[in-house]
Amino acid sequence: MEGISFSVGEGKFVGVIGPNGAGKTSLLKAVLGLIKPDRGEVFVFGTPPSGLGKKAHHIGYVPQKSRFDPRFPISVYDVVMMGRVCCIGLFRFPGKRDRELVAESLKRVGLEGYEHRPIGELSGGEQQRAFLARALCSQTRLLILDEPTTALDMPARQEFYRLLKELKDEMGLTVIMVCHDLQSLAVHSDELICINRTMHLHGRPQEVLKSTHLLEAYHCEFDFLSQVKEC
Amino acid sequence: MEILSYDFMQRALMAGIMVSLLCSFIAFFVILRRLAFIGVGISHSAFGGVAMGVVMGINPIFTAALFSILVAWLIGVVSKKGQIHEDAAIGIFFSAAMALGVALISLSHSYNIDLFGYLFGNILSVSVEDLWTVGILGAITLLTLILFFKELLFISFDEEVARVSGLPVELLNYLLLILMALTIVVSIKVVGLVLASALLVIPAATGYQLARNYRLMLAISLLCGVSSSILGLWLSYQYDLASGATIVLCSTLFFFLSMIFSPRQKLIGRLIRSRLG
Repeated sequence: MEGISFSVGEGKFVGVIGPNGAGKTSLLKAVLGLIKPDRGEVFVFGTPPSGLGKKAHHIGYVPQKSRFDPRFPISVYDVVMMGRVCCIGLFRFPGKRDRELVAESLKRVGLEGYEHRPIGELSGGEQQRAFLARALCSQTRLLILDEPTTALDMPARQEFYRLLKELKDEMGLTVIMVCHDLQSLAVHSDELICINRTMHLHGRPQEVLKSTHLLEAYHCEFDFLSQVKEC
Repeated sequence: MEILSYDFMQRALMAGIMVSLLCSFIAFFVILRRLAFIGVGISHSAFGGVAMGVVMGINPIFTAALFSILVAWLIGVVSKKGQIHEDAAIGIFFSAAMALGVALISLSHSYNIDLFGYLFGNILSVSVEDLWTVGILGAITLLTLILFFKELLFISFDEEVARVSGLPVELLNYLLLILMALTIVVSIKVVGLVLASALLVIPAATGYQLARNYRLMLAISLLCGVSSSILGLWLSYQYDLASGATIVLCSTLFFFLSMIFSPRQKLIGRLIRSRLG
């Protein structure tokens, strides 16, 4: 990947789109500090991701659903508490404040009453909401999501986007999300970034989706012309 | 209770309980992190360390500890660099370490050492000094596990998210490997290095079958480990069986029972349904 340069303003909802193999996940990983770019620099909250230190708490990450082992013997409550592990610090155990924040996060995503359910027994949409709650409970300011709705059916997907938008507005979050669902991004995002090994477009959803460069990025003319019209 | 009137049996029982508690605790992470094969690798490679101790005239437990930690670290480094897959790295290091052990023993011409004891354990020969070694090393390992429990659990569940949230994942992974190596060395006296890896897997695998929450899984793992140790020791005394092997077989029996009653396998439900037609 090369020729990628963009900045994301605080409080923006940015969608990252592009065909499979375009480097969307690699881009997110570079922002998260999981991989280092060969050339160039990444700054998050004004510092490189590797030097974030305690500011790392401000990043909430919701990975792709496939990474998770559904047989892991753990309750929803304990999964969400993992979001607090770094804030609690080494050699210490969760206190009253941590328990309150976990309860608050569960309430925000509508999973009150699910605390003791094993995570593997939840539906796909509920699991993603639990992971969202985990990402939210560490004083999060930047939320990064990697295709969070891939395994969800249409109603669960719409519900997830609605929740995300609501949380962003309520908590003043900045959101960066990789997603294939152009229609939903057109409705919910403030900006779209289209990449395919390089950056093709960055702008408001309506502009990006109507641009002829989008077809160039995807190397095909599949059905999103119709999606663009609907937008 | 006649069994407890012998000093050596009292010491064996104490060593058995301490080692099984420690092994069952670390087995919890071995199962959740799928480290069973690394356990086999580290335990077998301890033989190289034992042989070094014998040749150099040092207590083989200490050289085995250093050697196992070195091999655990090497496995971690080589597989992390991605030059070869982790299972291949384990296969290479553990066979090389065992071969080194055999070569050193053959060089030393000292056939009077209790090699069989190191390989298969000799719990009845546990001395007071051994008990102290097991107790101190065991307490350090157990305390470290408890202190880093929430971090290790997070990494076991989702390593990538743990890394993003700022946890020192590499360091914690190495810490777990080192603790595994220490646990194996501590259990050599009880079950021997060939069977030590069994105690690092079976009790927690039993807990995994029965529990849907990690706390219960850990509790079952500890209970299964300690019960197998006590039952195995009693059976080996009653029927004059090798103690280490009997403990491992008891543990395996608990595992098979857990398979039958496991809510994950649903064997009982299926059996009842098939009977009812």
